[in-house]
Amino acid sequence: MKQNKLLIIFSFIFCLLLFGLSDALAKSSPAGKSIFKTKGCSSCHRRKGPSVDKEFSDLQKKKGPDLWFAGSKFKAGFLATWLANPVPIRPMKFYSLREESVRDHPKLEKEDAVSVAKFLMTLKSKKVKLGVVKAKKSASGRIIFEKKQGCYGCHKFKKGRNVIGGLSGPTLIGVGSRLNPDWIYAFLKNPKDFHPVGAMPIYKGILSEADMLTLSRYLATFK
Amino acid sequence: MVNLRAFSLIIFFVLYSLLIPTDSWAAVKFVSAKENYVFYCVSCHGPKGLGDGINATKTQPVTPRNHTDAIKMERISDEELLSVIKDGGRALGKSTMMPSFSSTLTEVEILALKDYLRELCKCVGK
Repeated sequence: MKQNKLLIIFSFIFCLLLFGLSDALAKSSPAGKSIFKTKGCSSCHRRKGPSVDKEFSDLQKKKGPDLWFAGSKFKAGFLATWLANPVPIRPMKFYSLREESVRDHPKLEKEDAVSVAKFLMTLKSKKVKLGVVKAKKSASGRIIFEKKQGCYGCHKFKKGRNVIGGLSGPTLIGVGSRLNPDWIYAFLKNPKDFHPVGAMPIYKGILSEADMLTLSRYLATFK
Repeated sequence: MVNLRAFSLIIFFVLYSLLIPTDSWAAVKFVSAKENYVFYCVSCHGPKGLGDGINATKTQPVTPRNHTDAIKMERISDEELLSVIKDGGRALGKSTMMPSFSSTLTEVEILALKDYLRELCKCVGK
Protein backbone atom coordinates (compact mmCIF):
# COMPACT_ATOMS: atom_id res chain seq x y z
CA MET A 1 0.00 0.00 0.00
CA LYS A 2 2.78 2.34 1.01
CA GLN A 3 4.67 1.40 -2.17
CA ASN A 4 1.60 2.21 -4.31
CA LYS A 5 1.33 5.62 -2.71
CA LEU A 6 4.99 6.33 -3.40
CA LEU A 7 4.54 5.15 -6.99
CA ILE A 8 1.60 7.51 -7.48
CA ILE A 9 3.53 10.42 -5.99
CA PHE A 10 6.58 9.74 -8.18
CA SER A 11 4.40 9.34 -11.27
CA PHE A 12 2.71 12.64 -10.48
CA ILE A 13 6.07 14.42 -10.05
CA PHE A 14 7.36 12.82 -13.26
CA CYS A 15 4.30 14.03 -15.19
CA LEU A 16 4.75 17.54 -13.81
CA LEU A 17 8.42 17.55 -14.83
CA LEU A 18 7.56 16.24 -18.28
CA PHE A 19 4.85 18.84 -18.70
CA GLY A 20 7.18 21.62 -17.61
CA LEU A 21 9.93 20.38 -19.89
CA SER A 22 7.67 20.14 -22.92
CA ASP A 23 6.35 23.63 -22.23
CA ALA A 24 9.88 25.00 -21.91
CA LEU A 25 10.92 23.24 -25.12
CA ALA A 26 7.91 24.64 -26.96
CA LYS A 27 8.77 28.13 -25.79
CA SER A 28 12.45 27.92 -26.68
CA SER A 29 11.64 26.20 -29.99
CA PRO A 30 14.69 23.95 -30.44
CA ALA A 31 13.43 23.17 -33.96
CA GLY A 32 13.57 26.87 -34.85
CA LYS A 33 17.02 27.23 -33.31
CA SER A 34 18.22 24.21 -35.24
CA ILE A 35 16.81 25.56 -38.54
CA PHE A 36 18.41 28.93 -37.77
CA LYS A 37 21.76 27.15 -37.48
CA THR A 38 21.47 24.75 -40.41
CA LYS A 39 20.18 27.40 -42.81
CA GLY A 40 23.24 29.52 -41.97
CA CYS A 41 21.22 32.48 -40.67
CA SER A 42 24.10 33.31 -38.31
CA SER A 43 26.30 34.23 -41.26
CA CYS A 44 24.25 37.43 -41.68
CA HIS A 45 22.45 37.86 -38.34
CA ARG A 46 23.76 37.90 -34.78
CA ARG A 47 21.56 36.05 -32.31
CA LYS A 48 23.68 36.77 -29.28
CA GLY A 49 24.06 40.22 -27.79
CA PRO A 50 24.95 42.75 -26.78
CA SER A 51 26.33 44.20 -29.99
CA VAL A 52 30.10 44.46 -30.24
CA ASP A 53 30.10 47.03 -33.04
CA LYS A 54 32.50 49.86 -32.37
CA GLU A 55 33.31 51.49 -35.66
CA PHE A 56 31.58 52.36 -38.93
CA SER A 57 33.51 49.57 -40.62
CA ASP A 58 31.96 47.00 -38.22
CA LEU A 59 28.57 48.01 -39.49
CA GLN A 60 29.56 48.03 -43.11
CA LYS A 61 30.78 44.42 -42.82
CA LYS A 62 27.35 43.25 -41.71
CA LYS A 63 24.92 41.77 -44.20
CA GLY A 64 21.79 41.84 -42.09
CA PRO A 65 20.35 43.23 -38.89
CA ASP A 66 21.16 41.84 -35.44
CA LEU A 67 18.44 39.54 -34.15
CA TRP A 68 19.55 39.16 -30.53
CA PHE A 69 16.64 41.40 -29.47
CA ALA A 70 14.20 40.22 -32.17
CA GLY A 71 11.65 39.10 -29.58
CA SER A 72 11.50 42.63 -28.20
CA LYS A 73 11.69 44.39 -31.55
CA PHE A 74 9.14 42.58 -33.67
CA LYS A 75 5.47 41.95 -33.20
CA ALA A 76 4.37 38.39 -32.65
CA GLY A 77 3.20 36.96 -35.94
CA PHE A 78 5.20 39.30 -38.16
CA LEU A 79 8.35 37.20 -38.39
CA ALA A 80 6.58 33.96 -39.37
CA THR A 81 4.75 35.72 -42.19
CA TRP A 82 7.87 37.59 -43.32
CA LEU A 83 10.17 34.56 -43.27
CA ALA A 84 7.72 32.65 -45.49
CA ASN A 85 7.52 35.58 -47.89
CA PRO A 86 10.49 37.90 -47.36
CA VAL A 87 10.00 41.31 -48.91
CA PRO A 88 12.89 43.78 -48.31
CA ILE A 89 12.30 46.12 -45.39
CA ARG A 90 15.11 48.41 -46.46
CA PRO A 91 14.88 50.03 -49.89
CA MET A 92 18.69 49.76 -50.12
CA LYS A 93 20.81 46.75 -49.25
CA PHE A 94 21.88 46.67 -45.59
CA TYR A 95 23.79 49.94 -44.99
CA SER A 96 24.47 50.38 -48.70
CA LEU A 97 24.05 53.74 -50.36
CA ARG A 98 24.52 52.31 -53.84
CA GLU A 99 22.79 48.98 -54.22
CA GLU A 100 19.05 48.68 -54.12
CA SER A 101 17.55 45.79 -52.19
CA VAL A 102 16.56 42.74 -54.13
CA ARG A 103 14.37 39.90 -52.97
CA ASP A 104 17.29 37.63 -52.17
CA HIS A 105 16.53 36.70 -48.56
CA PRO A 106 16.06 32.91 -48.30
CA LYS A 107 12.42 31.93 -48.18
CA LEU A 108 11.37 29.37 -45.58
CA GLU A 109 8.62 26.79 -45.79
CA LYS A 110 5.64 27.88 -43.73
CA GLU A 111 6.27 25.33 -40.98
CA ASP A 112 9.96 26.23 -40.72
CA ALA A 113 9.11 29.94 -40.76
CA VAL A 114 6.81 29.44 -37.78
CA SER A 115 9.51 27.49 -35.89
CA VAL A 116 12.26 30.04 -36.59
CA ALA A 117 9.94 32.92 -35.71
CA LYS A 118 9.06 31.17 -32.45
CA PHE A 119 12.75 30.83 -31.67
CA LEU A 120 13.52 34.44 -32.60
CA MET A 121 10.70 35.70 -30.42
CA THR A 122 12.49 34.15 -27.42
CA LEU A 123 15.45 36.50 -28.00
CA LYS A 124 14.53 39.43 -25.81
CA SER A 125 16.31 42.50 -24.49
CA LYS A 126 15.97 43.45 -20.85
CA LYS A 127 16.09 47.08 -21.95
CA VAL A 128 12.59 46.90 -23.42
CA LYS A 129 9.62 47.06 -21.08
CA LEU A 130 6.84 45.19 -22.78
CA GLY A 131 3.19 46.21 -22.93
CA VAL A 132 3.73 49.86 -22.02
CA VAL A 133 3.44 51.72 -25.34
CA LYS A 134 0.17 51.41 -27.24
CA ALA A 135 -0.56 52.57 -30.78
CA LYS A 136 -2.24 55.95 -30.91
CA LYS A 137 -2.84 58.24 -33.86
CA SER A 138 -2.42 61.87 -32.87
CA ALA A 139 -1.87 65.28 -34.39
CA SER A 140 1.07 65.78 -32.05
CA GLY A 141 2.63 62.52 -33.30
CA ARG A 142 2.23 63.64 -36.89
CA ILE A 143 3.78 67.04 -36.12
CA ILE A 144 6.82 65.42 -34.50
CA PHE A 145 7.20 62.98 -37.40
CA GLU A 146 6.66 65.38 -40.27
CA LYS A 147 7.47 68.85 -38.97
CA LYS A 148 9.52 68.88 -35.78
CA GLN A 149 11.82 66.17 -37.11
CA GLY A 150 11.88 65.30 -40.75
CA CYS A 151 11.85 61.55 -40.12
CA TYR A 152 10.75 60.84 -43.66
CA GLY A 153 13.96 62.43 -44.91
CA CYS A 154 15.43 58.93 -44.53
CA HIS A 155 12.37 56.69 -44.13
CA LYS A 156 9.55 56.26 -46.62
CA PHE A 157 5.97 56.08 -45.44
CA LYS A 158 2.43 56.30 -46.74
CA LYS A 159 0.92 59.77 -46.67
CA GLY A 160 -2.62 59.32 -47.79
CA ARG A 161 -2.40 57.41 -51.02
CA ASN A 162 1.15 58.46 -51.78
CA VAL A 163 4.43 56.90 -50.72
CA ILE A 164 6.94 59.58 -49.87
CA GLY A 165 10.32 59.85 -48.18
CA GLY A 166 13.97 58.86 -48.35
CA LEU A 167 15.57 55.52 -49.00
CA SER A 168 18.52 55.17 -46.63
CA GLY A 169 16.55 53.92 -43.64
CA PRO A 170 14.16 51.02 -43.28
CA THR A 171 10.70 51.65 -44.66
CA LEU A 172 8.07 52.78 -42.19
CA ILE A 173 5.28 51.36 -44.30
CA GLY A 174 3.64 48.63 -42.26
CA VAL A 175 5.46 49.50 -39.03
CA GLY A 176 2.23 49.00 -37.11
CA SER A 177 2.23 45.30 -37.86
CA ARG A 178 6.01 44.91 -37.85
CA LEU A 179 7.52 46.66 -34.85
CA ASN A 180 6.68 46.50 -31.21
CA PRO A 181 6.03 50.12 -30.10
CA ASP A 182 7.73 49.36 -26.77
CA TRP A 183 10.90 48.65 -28.73
CA ILE A 184 10.54 51.82 -30.85
CA TYR A 185 10.34 53.85 -27.64
CA ALA A 186 13.30 52.04 -26.05
CA PHE A 187 15.32 52.49 -29.25
CA LEU A 188 14.56 56.21 -29.50
CA LYS A 189 15.50 56.71 -25.84
CA ASN A 190 18.74 54.74 -25.94
CA PRO A 191 19.66 53.63 -29.47
CA LYS A 192 23.10 52.49 -28.34
CA ASP A 193 21.52 49.75 -26.24
CA PHE A 194 20.72 48.06 -29.55
CA HIS A 195 23.03 49.65 -32.11
CA PRO A 196 26.23 51.10 -30.60
CA VAL A 197 27.01 52.32 -34.11
CA GLY A 198 24.18 53.43 -36.36
CA ALA A 199 23.55 55.85 -39.21
CA MET A 200 20.42 57.28 -37.61
CA PRO A 201 21.13 60.43 -35.59
CA ILE A 202 20.67 60.11 -31.84
CA TYR A 203 17.56 61.93 -30.62
CA LYS A 204 18.28 61.61 -26.92
CA GLY A 205 18.54 65.19 -25.67
CA ILE A 206 16.88 66.50 -28.83
CA LEU A 207 13.40 65.05 -28.46
CA SER A 208 11.90 64.88 -24.97
CA GLU A 209 10.92 61.46 -23.64
CA ALA A 210 7.29 62.55 -23.85
CA ASP A 211 7.75 63.36 -27.56
CA MET A 212 9.49 60.00 -28.09
CA LEU A 213 6.54 58.26 -26.50
CA THR A 214 4.05 60.18 -28.67
CA LEU A 215 6.13 59.41 -31.75
CA SER A 216 6.39 55.70 -30.90
CA ARG A 217 2.61 55.53 -30.45
CA TYR A 218 2.08 57.36 -33.74
CA LEU A 219 4.49 55.14 -35.69
CA ALA A 220 2.70 52.08 -34.37
CA THR A 221 -0.39 53.17 -36.32
CA PHE A 222 1.43 53.09 -39.68
CA LYS A 223 -0.05 50.69 -42.20
CA MET B 1 65.79 64.86 -11.42
CA VAL B 2 64.67 65.01 -15.08
CA ASN B 3 65.06 61.26 -15.36
CA LEU B 4 62.90 60.77 -12.30
CA ARG B 5 60.18 62.97 -13.84
CA ALA B 6 60.33 61.07 -17.12
CA PHE B 7 60.22 57.77 -15.23
CA SER B 8 57.19 58.81 -13.18
CA LEU B 9 55.41 59.98 -16.35
CA ILE B 10 56.03 56.61 -18.01
CA ILE B 11 54.74 54.80 -14.91
CA PHE B 12 51.68 57.07 -14.90
CA PHE B 13 50.83 56.30 -18.55
CA VAL B 14 51.41 52.55 -18.11
CA LEU B 15 49.12 52.48 -15.07
CA TYR B 16 46.58 54.70 -16.84
CA SER B 17 46.48 52.40 -19.86
CA LEU B 18 46.03 49.39 -17.58
CA LEU B 19 43.24 51.00 -15.58
CA ILE B 20 41.20 52.30 -18.50
CA PRO B 21 39.06 49.57 -20.06
CA THR B 22 39.75 48.92 -23.74
CA ASP B 23 36.22 50.06 -24.66
CA SER B 24 37.12 53.58 -23.62
CA TRP B 25 39.86 53.70 -26.20
CA ALA B 26 37.31 52.85 -28.85
CA ALA B 27 35.03 55.57 -27.53
CA VAL B 28 37.70 58.22 -27.97
CA LYS B 29 38.91 56.82 -31.29
CA PHE B 30 39.34 59.68 -33.69
CA VAL B 31 36.86 59.63 -36.55
CA SER B 32 37.85 61.92 -39.41
CA ALA B 33 35.46 64.50 -40.82
CA LYS B 34 35.44 62.67 -44.12
CA GLU B 35 34.45 59.40 -42.42
CA ASN B 36 31.63 61.17 -40.59
CA TYR B 37 30.54 62.88 -43.80
CA VAL B 38 30.43 59.56 -45.67
CA PHE B 39 28.57 57.85 -42.84
CA TYR B 40 26.03 60.51 -41.90
CA CYS B 41 25.77 63.08 -44.70
CA VAL B 42 26.22 61.27 -48.02
CA SER B 43 22.78 59.61 -47.86
CA CYS B 44 21.22 63.06 -48.43
CA HIS B 45 24.02 65.23 -49.78
CA GLY B 46 25.56 62.65 -52.09
CA PRO B 47 29.03 61.10 -52.25
CA LYS B 48 30.54 64.27 -53.72
CA GLY B 49 28.36 66.68 -51.76
CA LEU B 50 26.31 67.67 -54.82
CA GLY B 51 23.02 67.34 -52.95
CA ASP B 52 22.10 64.20 -54.86
CA GLY B 53 22.10 61.47 -52.19
CA ILE B 54 19.70 58.55 -52.29
CA ASN B 55 17.35 60.35 -49.92
CA ALA B 56 16.97 63.24 -52.35
CA THR B 57 13.93 61.62 -53.94
CA LYS B 58 11.36 63.53 -55.97
CA THR B 59 8.87 63.12 -53.14
CA GLN B 60 10.90 65.20 -50.69
CA PRO B 61 9.72 68.74 -49.97
CA VAL B 62 13.26 70.17 -50.20
CA THR B 63 16.50 69.42 -52.01
CA PRO B 64 19.59 68.81 -49.86
CA ARG B 65 22.22 71.54 -49.99
CA ASN B 66 24.86 71.22 -52.69
CA HIS B 67 28.01 71.54 -50.59
CA THR B 68 30.17 72.25 -53.63
CA ASP B 69 28.16 75.32 -54.60
CA ALA B 70 30.64 78.00 -53.52
CA ILE B 71 28.30 80.92 -54.27
CA LYS B 72 25.60 79.64 -51.90
CA MET B 73 27.97 78.15 -49.34
CA GLU B 74 29.98 81.38 -48.89
CA ARG B 75 26.75 83.15 -47.91
CA ILE B 76 26.67 80.95 -44.82
CA SER B 77 29.02 81.88 -41.99
CA ASP B 78 31.05 79.30 -40.10
CA GLU B 79 28.90 79.92 -37.03
CA GLU B 80 25.77 79.23 -39.06
CA LEU B 81 27.26 76.04 -40.46
CA LEU B 82 28.08 74.87 -36.94
CA SER B 83 24.55 75.71 -35.79
CA VAL B 84 22.98 73.73 -38.63
CA ILE B 85 25.13 70.67 -37.96
CA LYS B 86 24.40 70.86 -34.23
CA ASP B 87 20.74 71.83 -34.23
CA GLY B 88 19.56 70.90 -37.70
CA GLY B 89 17.95 72.98 -40.45
CA ARG B 90 15.58 74.64 -38.00
CA ALA B 91 18.56 76.55 -36.53
CA LEU B 92 18.54 78.76 -39.63
CA GLY B 93 14.82 78.58 -40.20
CA LYS B 94 15.40 75.96 -42.89
CA SER B 95 13.91 72.52 -43.33
CA THR B 96 13.85 70.06 -40.43
CA MET B 97 14.76 67.40 -42.99
CA MET B 98 18.31 68.30 -41.96
CA PRO B 99 18.49 66.64 -38.53
CA SER B 100 20.38 67.74 -35.45
CA PHE B 101 23.69 66.00 -34.82
CA SER B 102 24.46 67.49 -31.41
CA SER B 103 23.80 64.16 -29.66
CA THR B 104 25.53 62.11 -32.34
CA LEU B 105 28.81 63.93 -32.98
CA THR B 106 31.26 65.48 -30.55
CA GLU B 107 32.09 69.20 -30.58
CA VAL B 108 35.46 68.40 -32.12
CA GLU B 109 33.86 66.28 -34.84
CA ILE B 110 31.35 69.03 -35.63
CA LEU B 111 34.16 71.59 -35.95
CA ALA B 112 36.08 69.23 -38.23
CA LEU B 113 32.96 68.61 -40.31
CA LYS B 114 32.50 72.35 -40.77
CA ASP B 115 36.09 72.56 -42.06
CA TYR B 116 35.41 69.63 -44.38
CA LEU B 117 32.39 71.46 -45.82
CA ARG B 118 34.65 74.43 -46.52
CA GLU B 119 37.00 72.06 -48.35
CA LEU B 120 34.10 70.80 -50.46
CA CYS B 121 32.96 74.27 -51.47
CA LYS B 122 36.50 75.62 -51.67
CA CYS B 123 35.13 78.76 -50.09
CA VAL B 124 35.11 80.74 -46.86
CA GLY B 125 32.05 81.95 -44.99
CA LYS B 126 30.74 85.50 -45.04
